[in-house]
Amino acid sequence: MDTDRFQVITPPTRADYRDLVRGLTKVAWPEFMLHDQVANVLWHELLDRFPEYQLALYDTENKRVAAMGNSFPLRWEDTLYNLPEGGWDWAFEEAVKDHEQGLSPNYHCAIQVVIHSDYRGHRLSAPMIEAVRAVTKAKGLQALIIPVRPSEKSKYPLISMADYLTWKNEEGLPFDAWLRVHARLGGKIIKTCHESKTIRGTRAEWEAWTRMKFPQSGEYIIPDALVPIEMDVVKDEGIYVEPNVWMVHEVG
Amino acid sequence: MNPNRFQLITPNDLADYRDRANKIAEASWPEFMLHDPIADEYWHELFDRFIEYQFAMLDTEMNRMAAMGNSLPFHWDQDLSELPEGGWDWVFVKATEDHKNGVASNIQSAIQVAIHPDYQGQGLSTKMVQAMRAIGESKGFRYLVAPVRPSEKSKYPLTSIDDYIAWKTDEGLPFDAWLRVHARMGGKIIKPCHEAMTIRGTHTEWEAWTGIKFPQSGRYVIPGALNPIEMEVDQDEGVYIEPNVWMVHEIR
Repeated sequence: MDTDRFQVITPPTRADYRDLVRGLTKVAWPEFMLHDQVANVLWHELLDRFPEYQLALYDTENKRVAAMGNSFPLRWEDTLYNLPEGGWDWAFEEAVKDHEQGLSPNYHCAIQVVIHSDYRGHRLSAPMIEAVRAVTKAKGLQALIIPVRPSEKSKYPLISMADYLTWKNEEGLPFDAWLRVHARLGGKIIKTCHESKTIRGTRAEWEAWTRMKFPQSGEYIIPDALVPIEMDVVKDEGIYVEPNVWMVHEVG
Repeated sequence: MNPNRFQLITPNDLADYRDRANKIAEASWPEFMLHDPIADEYWHELFDRFIEYQFAMLDTEMNRMAAMGNSLPFHWDQDLSELPEGGWDWVFVKATEDHKNGVASNIQSAIQVAIHPDYQGQGLSTKMVQAMRAIGESKGFRYLVAPVRPSEKSKYPLTSIDDYIAWKTDEGLPFDAWLRVHARMGGKIIKPCHEAMTIRGTHTEWEAWTGIKFPQSGRYVIPGALNPIEMEVDQDEGVYIEPNVWMVHEIR
């Protein structure tokens, strides 16, 4: 990464941060991923409660944001191996609850690292993770934990996440490109979180989100989902339960 | 559009007919579909034994082959509802055996209607099915049957073909675009043929055909396939069994 060209910005350091990052999440994810209930209810908390934990990479040449990282602190007293199945949704709720109750946090949790599609191939993902880790260190937190979305799993929707996690490339690194970015930076896989995000919608909503049709109840493969969704036409409800992978970066 | 732009031609009209036709097949099908052993072994029979049943549509403005149609005659004296599960593979072998044995044919089967991707969406599919029917008519056959590949089923690999063919549009026509082309022209669905094509390959072959990796045994969804494939890593074999739909056009 060209460090002169790309600068790390945060809401406290840039008054127009909110405007600069607007729309970035939208271009980075398949439509259905934008309908996670927990995300929609709590998203504003990132800026309201945890502004110092939000950061973006600002492209000084084109005066726009190229990537964004969202995280927050939370309290976890058990071993990391017992981190909940609820992954992403759980962490977000936990962080907000801890903050409301004034509990002092001991872990740093990242919930999103997105690279704008125009900037893929600029090798920004590693510097973004480094920037997020720098926050862990600056805040004196124990480690950075992340419910990682292994995005290439969408090509393997019938393989269990537990099996997929064990797949390696010839170098012995994780098969999945996102898991591999983390592994190269020293991130370690803890385990699967099977219910990291739960997305519910009516049949009509799922049809609009995916441009598919769901004429009968059953399991469906939808583009970019990591596992099939379950559609129940009688209840008029489709449910997608996304598995992610808990990873940890120790910062010393 | 110039109404005479597209002209029906036969294999004898062009010296390089078969080369040009092969290019259409390569452009219109997912790679793995070109590895059906029956097709590989018997394809030449279309030209050696059944040349009058092969035709193509030539774009006279560009001097390009835009679409091709392949069919063959065979003998069938049972009810159409008894047509075998073996569909495409079966009918190719049956027609060849009948011809070898001097058994008189009384019915026509479609083998392929392929439209080059550059020419899709221009109404050529209807013209191609009409041209195929005209051949059957000239031979005095009553029926044109076809093991039809419902190509949009590839978006619904977890739905059974039996359920899929019951799906309708708001107009009451088949949900699948290819089944609909036939239905609009009077074609009727007879039933599914669950083993219309059987394609086998080694682990390495399937990886080359699909761009997907198969690190462990199990079912995999692959792009363009109507059902998942079954990969057996220990036996070094992946098997894809393609379901098609027997349809019939009453020619007279």
